[in-house]
Amino acid sequence: MSMGLEIHEVTKSFGDKLAVDRLTVSVPRGSIYGFLGPNGAGKTTTIRMVMSILFPDSGTIRLFDCEEAFASKDRLGYLPEEKGLYKKMKTKELIAYFGRLKGMPRVRANEQAVKLLERFGLGQVIDSRCDSLSKGMGQKVQIIATLLHEPDLVILDEPFSGLDPINVEVVRDIILELKRSGKTVIFSTHIMEQAEQICDYILLMNNGKKVLNGSLNDVKKTASETIYLEYEGDGSQFLHNLPGVIRINDMGKAAELSLDQHADPQKLLQQLVSQTTVRKFTINTPSLHEIFVRAIGEAD
Amino acid sequence: MYRALLVAQREFLENIRTKGFWLSILMMPIMLVIIGIVPVLVSSTRTEQSFTVIDESGWLLSKVQYELSLSDAVHYLKAPVEEDRRTPLDEIKPALATVEDLALTNVARELVGQAADLRGSLQMGSLSQDSLPLEVQNFFRTHRGDIGRWWQGLSPADRAELSPRISTNFFRFEEAEGRSPELLNQAVKDNELFAYFVIGPSPKENSQGFRFVSNNLTDRELLNWFNRSVTKVVRAERLTAENIDPEIAKWINTPPDFESRQIGASGEEESVESTDVVRQWAPVVFVYLLWISVLINTQMLLTNTIEEKSNKLIEVLLSSISPIVLMGGKILGIALTGLTIIGSWMLMAIVFFFFLPQLLGIELPFDITSVAIDPWFLGSFFVYFLLGYLLYAAILVGLGSVCNNLKEAQNLMLPVQLIQMLPILLMVPIGRDPNGTLAQILSYVPPLTPFVMMNRAAGPPSGFEYVTTTLLLIASIIVALWFAAKIFRIGILLTGKPPGFLQILRWLRTPVTDGAALTIQTPIRIPNAAPTLEPSDSSKL
Repeated sequence: MSMGLEIHEVTKSFGDKLAVDRLTVSVPRGSIYGFLGPNGAGKTTTIRMVMSILFPDSGTIRLFDCEEAFASKDRLGYLPEEKGLYKKMKTKELIAYFGRLKGMPRVRANEQAVKLLERFGLGQVIDSRCDSLSKGMGQKVQIIATLLHEPDLVILDEPFSGLDPINVEVVRDIILELKRSGKTVIFSTHIMEQAEQICDYILLMNNGKKVLNGSLNDVKKTASETIYLEYEGDGSQFLHNLPGVIRINDMGKAAELSLDQHADPQKLLQQLVSQTTVRKFTINTPSLHEIFVRAIGEAD
Repeated sequence: MYRALLVAQREFLENIRTKGFWLSILMMPIMLVIIGIVPVLVSSTRTEQSFTVIDESGWLLSKVQYELSLSDAVHYLKAPVEEDRRTPLDEIKPALATVEDLALTNVARELVGQAADLRGSLQMGSLSQDSLPLEVQNFFRTHRGDIGRWWQGLSPADRAELSPRISTNFFRFEEAEGRSPELLNQAVKDNELFAYFVIGPSPKENSQGFRFVSNNLTDRELLNWFNRSVTKVVRAERLTAENIDPEIAKWINTPPDFESRQIGASGEEESVESTDVVRQWAPVVFVYLLWISVLINTQMLLTNTIEEKSNKLIEVLLSSISPIVLMGGKILGIALTGLTIIGSWMLMAIVFFFFLPQLLGIELPFDITSVAIDPWFLGSFFVYFLLGYLLYAAILVGLGSVCNNLKEAQNLMLPVQLIQMLPILLMVPIGRDPNGTLAQILSYVPPLTPFVMMNRAAGPPSGFEYVTTTLLLIASIIVALWFAAKIFRIGILLTGKPPGFLQILRWLRTPVTDGAALTIQTPIRIPNAAPTLEPSDSSKL
């Protein structure tokens, strides 16, 4: 398989803190790859190294099979986690400026900026100053600036943070469209539901180390089943000491129960029915959220 | 390099849209207008000051009044000759035509006849009374009496019309009319009267009983003006009483006078013209402008750097360009902004001092014009702005990159600001002795070089000094930029507390490269870090 990005045995430390510890991961071209993990897991440091903003202490980063990371900078698009705009610049100018910094000729950068702004429904703010934009508009402008030069690999660090549901959908559609047009997308998030919906592959990091890695299906297969339960009454009365249950995520009227490898869901159901009114009982493959919490728990 | 220019272009365009930029540009004409207009405004808006005199001697006041109006009349008659070289003769004639006294009219005609020669022989910058040609001085000396009588015969309104600048327009005399000091005190208190004088009973003998009573003792003009004439009259009376020839008294009072001369370029003695005095001090103005422009622009760089950092734009920028390109672009962009500002200042100075006077047909004193658009001063100003800016830009961009907000920057800036204050404090001592030891030594302190050398421009320093100090300055700029680059590329990504001095020193020891040639680099090297394994790493130091 042709690789968009290969990270091999990469280590990075700041002072005596090990931020990324011998990380190896391969991102196939044309895929959507989720970098997941709790805060401080090393996601952003990894991404910064891919962008040649930081440089690894050891290990190699290869982009597009052969090229060196730094030389491929212009083929990358990067939306950092902390997003900012030049407040006094007009949106069109700002987008074109970032495009030109990526090596686009002036005329094309201007044309593309207008074209994309219109496509994203921002035609009315082409000549507005950036400080007059709403947060959602600002984020769209930043995404346009990231995509203007048609990068082959797009890295989005927390692209959904701070967006309302409508704009979350807009951004999600952008990511899916990038995939359809053959681009490789890496995005980091800590919201598992989003990752679960759109990722082909995931990398789960904790304390600078790889915890889980692979296609979403493979990762899910390795995890044992979960039960989704809706009940009446006070869950704390009966949701403990259940046979074969290793973890409970109690939400008040519903709960997610993780089972160990050998647990029997039927026995569990019998016990529950004897203690409460069960409104719904489903056997599921585990959610990414569940896998995440379990994996981090085990790793710690 | 192309991308550094892009950064510079953006920086430039953003800066020229700010209010601060236009204010900086406008500062020059505003200053010029203030310098040109305010003195005129101040004198034209002066309110009339009324005063009265209690004369206990019984004879002094009338003599003083005669003396006062005489000096006004003389001033009026001389003004066309003295003040404005270019006033055509015709303008003097109507003034003289109002003189009805026949004898006086004849001498006035004579004066007009001489005026042609007069104008030719009047030197510029020599506006004092004694510099009038001898014939004119003699004319006024001979005809003092006639002029005085004629002037006293005119009504105050006529006088005011003849010459708007005579002193009686500013100081209005009121008769005391036997009012007691108590009444006068009340009048002063109620602001009906600005002041009153009391002349003692025996002015010839002593100043006993002489008083000047006013509520405004800071404005001494009335006192000085009145006192001058009193002194003149009293002195004349004393001379007469002692039978001393006034000419002898004058001669006794004339102090020995040294003529200032300097050694010119040819090694010959030359007399010092007034231009030279202006030249000597003009660099101070340039130093001040230089100091302001360097300060404004480096501050702009600091603010922009911190703004970019706190706006979280740095990461996006660094995903496209290396930190060194970014820093270079920013320094260049603001240099362009600064050059635009001082370029427009120079242009305005040239228009103001050179073209505008020509256009309006007025002539500014030659010495100011020659200094304001002196190519040597302007050239040094330009070069020293660039060099001074670059040195301080390197220091401030390094500092700015490690700070998250202006407050943090201000703490780190303190030592730099202390150094930045020095040129202002040194301005006068160096201007007084531009080639002295202090000036020479300070010229070799790179952060002060641009200012001190500009300050010394009138000296001027020797060619050797120009070459060595400039080379030293350029070398320091290169070193400072090098250090700044090292600090910038690490500091710019830092968040949280600014690093300490020792930590920054450690950064300085790590190598700087453009980054383009590297695959692996260690911005923060920890002791005993594992050696990098990448084969293409050979370009690393």
